[in-house]
Amino acid sequence: MSAQTFALLLVLGAIGTLVSITARARGRATTLDFYLAGRRVGTFTNACAICGDYFSAASFLGVAAAVYASGLDGVWYAAGFAAGFVPVLLFVAAPLRRFGRISLPDFLGERFGSERVRVTAVVVVQLVVLAYLVPQAVGSGITWELLVGRGFGGLSPYATGVVISAALIAALVVIGGMRGTTWNQALQFVLLLTVLLWLATLVFSAGFSYPSGVEEASSSALLVPAQDGASLTTVPDRLRPDREAIFGTPGARYGGLGQFALLTTLMLGTAGLPHIMNRYFTSPTGRSTRFTTVWVLGLAGAFYALAVMLGTAARVTIAEHADDTAWLAELTIDGVLRVPEHALLALGRIHAGVPGLGLVATAAFAAMISTIGGLLLAAAASWGHDVYERYLNPRATQRQAIRAGQLAVGVASAVAAVIALALEPARLSGNFPSVVALLVTWAFALAGSALSPVLMLSIWWRGTSVNGAIAGMSVGTVTVLVALAIGLLRGGDTDDLGSLLLAPTLLAAPLATLTTVVVSRTDGPPPGLTDVWLRMHGTAADRQVERFARLAARQGRGT
Amino acid sequence: MPARRPDAEPDPEDALSFPAEGLADLQEYDAPAEVDAAFVTQRRIAVGYCLVFLLVTFAIPVLTVSSGWWTDARVVGGMSPSFLMAAVVLYVFFVGLGVAAATLADGAEDRMLGRAGGSDREDGA
Repeated sequence: MSAQTFALLLVLGAIGTLVSITARARGRATTLDFYLAGRRVGTFTNACAICGDYFSAASFLGVAAAVYASGLDGVWYAAGFAAGFVPVLLFVAAPLRRFGRISLPDFLGERFGSERVRVTAVVVVQLVVLAYLVPQAVGSGITWELLVGRGFGGLSPYATGVVISAALIAALVVIGGMRGTTWNQALQFVLLLTVLLWLATLVFSAGFSYPSGVEEASSSALLVPAQDGASLTTVPDRLRPDREAIFGTPGARYGGLGQFALLTTLMLGTAGLPHIMNRYFTSPTGRSTRFTTVWVLGLAGAFYALAVMLGTAARVTIAEHADDTAWLAELTIDGVLRVPEHALLALGRIHAGVPGLGLVATAAFAAMISTIGGLLLAAAASWGHDVYERYLNPRATQRQAIRAGQLAVGVASAVAAVIALALEPARLSGNFPSVVALLVTWAFALAGSALSPVLMLSIWWRGTSVNGAIAGMSVGTVTVLVALAIGLLRGGDTDDLGSLLLAPTLLAAPLATLTTVVVSRTDGPPPGLTDVWLRMHGTAADRQVERFARLAARQGRGT
Repeated sequence: MPARRPDAEPDPEDALSFPAEGLADLQEYDAPAEVDAAFVTQRRIAVGYCLVFLLVTFAIPVLTVSSGWWTDARVVGGMSPSFLMAAVVLYVFFVGLGVAAATLADGAEDRMLGRAGGSDREDGA
């Protein structure tokens, strides 16, 4: 690791710690502050924090890598990740916030007035959080291995990365709670977007033309490293088996069904991601969540459009520089990167030397840190609020409840670190970025199949019953797990059926929805629905907050 | 019937969100019939915009499978209509759709809810 990179990492860590401590000092020690930043996060700040929470390493390095490796088929990741916020805006954001709870299990438990629903949701949420947390921990370990290259205290570089990142992020979340994490996530998103804009500026300044770049990359068959790791091979076109895949046309990675399966999995999954949905509870009103989501759509669009463009630029630029650049020759085979996730890192070093590499690597760490922070808070809210305060110690004081949440952060972080350490990266044999992206897709599948259908039905269909919700979540979860197991046993996504089984929302979400509806028809909706509907779909609470804000502002001017 | 009766036990979360003093003077209420009507309108808006969203988003893979022109033609440099749509245009569409849906949903709520209570009128807003 260069001195510049080390300095940048230190600066990032220092900023994160300062922000957390400052925010902590300003906050009151209540559970509402620890989990929800007092429900006073502004529209744009929350949009930036949601983006920081959402854009993990899979988005920052993974999307550009997917485009680099698979051309147009890699763009589906960008489109799917960005599209996920449209259903959130249309169906979830405002009613979820207006109901005004602390976590997704809390929302579902209160909506149905059922502890069984709450406990089922806690189990599903923990599965989703873990499925999302483990690949982030693996990613941070191997990024440390690539960037720093050495371990401390007798640990391997990989293990050092996992342990340090887990400990550092858990400490930041424990110290800062949601308020500190919000500002960290917002700042880290600004860093990510700035680095992408800076890279784009460098790329265009060097004479890159986007349309011409696509044309150049598509001028011959798409080449990828062969199994032997020493030569390149072409990729068969899955849509037109008689020809080889080309960068600018679809078919390099997915057949027809595979495209629908991936797009559906990413689109529906977002609405069920607990760490993202929890952020909506931090907004002051339901109305403000709508334009928070519009901002997210704009920022995500800019982010993913830049990532796709830079993936294209990397395909062209790296091939041009590979022959006459010694360090790049080591990373490539005949001008093609051995590991696609190096695309943005290599682009940074080509255009700005070692400091450029350091800046991109720091942004990659920031992406992981902000996502892990959000996931840990979601785990804490679920364990601390929905389990500890409800079952283990119903008479807990605010201080005890916060301590339970902080303990949950530490435990969730430790469990994810232990699983990441047990995964033995050597066995992943250089394919870890694919594994990271794959595991993240599985988390989306689980969220989109087990939580999103029940969440949307509970908001928009009065007839949803307690048993229906439980059956829907259970069927969604089991279907995803069975589909993934069969898909892996079949040997991966080698054909359309394999693609569907490894991104099974297209299969599992309709099944979960159907189960919820059928079971709900057999029993009735829970009592007290009128009050629930008034809270979710009425605007009285919003108006009250807005009115209070206006009065407070008027009083402020008057004094 | 009000959303929360004046004599109802206050929600502890709301109590944490607002200063206690003067809270009673700021109470706002919704009538169930008005909320029901607003709910139906909001559902119509959400489903309508969702259909447009699904139609446009899934049109890309449908055209990819069914139309040679969609993937083979070149409209800007080496970009096919499929590439241009997935890499650039789709994100602009999402933002446009989001702005339109959010504006319409807010407007519908403004028109349909909050007319019965004291609300903004007495503040002169």
